[in-house]
Amino acid sequence: MKFVDEFRDAGLAEAVGARITELCEPGRHYKIMEVCGGHTHTIYRYGVQDHLPDSVELVHGPGCPVCVIPMGRVDDGIAIAGRDGVILTCFGDMMRVPGGDGSFLDANAAGADIRMVYSPLDALRIARQNPDREVVFYAIGFETTAPSTALTVLRAKAVGITNFSVFCNHVTIIPAIKAILDSPDLRLDAFIGPGHVSTVIGCRPYDFIAREHGKPLVCAGFEPLDLLQSIYMIMKQLADGRSVVENQYSRVVPWDGNPVALRVLADVFALRPFFEWRGLGSISQSALQLSDRYADFDAERRFAVPGVRVADPKACQCGEVLKGVLKPWECKVFGTACTPETPIGTCMVSSEGACAAYYTFGQYAKQRIHLEV
Amino acid sequence: MTAGWDAAPTCDAAGDCITCGDVAVPLTVVDVFGPDARCRDAAGREESVATELIGPVFPGQRLLVHAGVAISRLDDDRAAGRAGAEEDR
Repeated sequence: MKFVDEFRDAGLAEAVGARITELCEPGRHYKIMEVCGGHTHTIYRYGVQDHLPDSVELVHGPGCPVCVIPMGRVDDGIAIAGRDGVILTCFGDMMRVPGGDGSFLDANAAGADIRMVYSPLDALRIARQNPDREVVFYAIGFETTAPSTALTVLRAKAVGITNFSVFCNHVTIIPAIKAILDSPDLRLDAFIGPGHVSTVIGCRPYDFIAREHGKPLVCAGFEPLDLLQSIYMIMKQLADGRSVVENQYSRVVPWDGNPVALRVLADVFALRPFFEWRGLGSISQSALQLSDRYADFDAERRFAVPGVRVADPKACQCGEVLKGVLKPWECKVFGTACTPETPIGTCMVSSEGACAAYYTFGQYAKQRIHLEV
Repeated sequence: MTAGWDAAPTCDAAGDCITCGDVAVPLTVVDVFGPDARCRDAAGREESVATELIGPVFPGQRLLVHAGVAISRLDDDRAAGRAGAEEDR
């Protein structure tokens, strides 16, 4: 297929893999974290690791939006949905995320009105169609998704819709990377930067990673050769003793991001002092809430929510997986008690989650390893 | 992806959800209606896209779209690689 084959050409992948191997220092082990869940999905789906030498290890980061939602926030959403007259709307992956007392799907089965939407604008349309109901959008996602929520709030305010509000769980990627850099559990050599988050925020916010921590970061696209080329660029920096931010995905990512989207985000949202991330704990100024100017659209101010912190199930090791400390298959319930059909942890829910991606695609790589042994 | 112009929202909880990941799709503008544009993907599926975050758009332009909102403009060479990728997902 035109424009696809070039990005998936096995011969080219092999050639880039050979160039990466040439850059490896004998005896050194390299750990490169892909921050974005979309990259994790590509890595497993296309067997990107198979093209890399054993000394280059890809570590999966916390960039799957539903994977980092703590269980207490799921329970808060269910509590809102349980109120008379409320329609709760959310993206599809959220439906199966387990809370302390079941998932949105369970709540729906018990009688709550929870509907999947493709866009927050669809939630606003539902509010228009149901003026006698309260419609709440359960917002999740990084800076790729937050602008769509912000734009929806602006439209709701502009046309005077009063039965629409947002339960905001948007998070920002930079504080999470900082938390990982400060984690004593993990030694990383470099980062593959998120592609579409960078379309909004640009490449400059990553400068501190290179400047203060001496780690290269390359913003990458989502095709297998995008990832391999970004790994090559990282390895070249490491071989040259450099650490800078580079943009492999320049066909999509502007260096300065989208200034209009950034202005809208700054207007509609304010940083929360703290927000709990599953696996990473509480991180200061890492999440968004509606600013005072748009308080009327804040579901947390409109409805009382339990706001209770719920500990993850003891058997679940999503936290270690999200920090890259454990590989998915090293979790003690992976593929047995925890599967995509019966997820215990969030990493097994979304197709962008490391566990779900490995469960779906990675088993083939493991079979190859067994055959070689 | 939404199946058609003003179609009911669809998002498959059992499969890929392009909104939940850091996934955006390249679409071509077909018509413009105020702040919205009717856009078409490579497979011919259409959806409504909000364009306020990127300014005025015109038929034939290609946009990078996430959750029903355009977040960037693309020229043809930029968009083509991503378009093909999405067809397979």
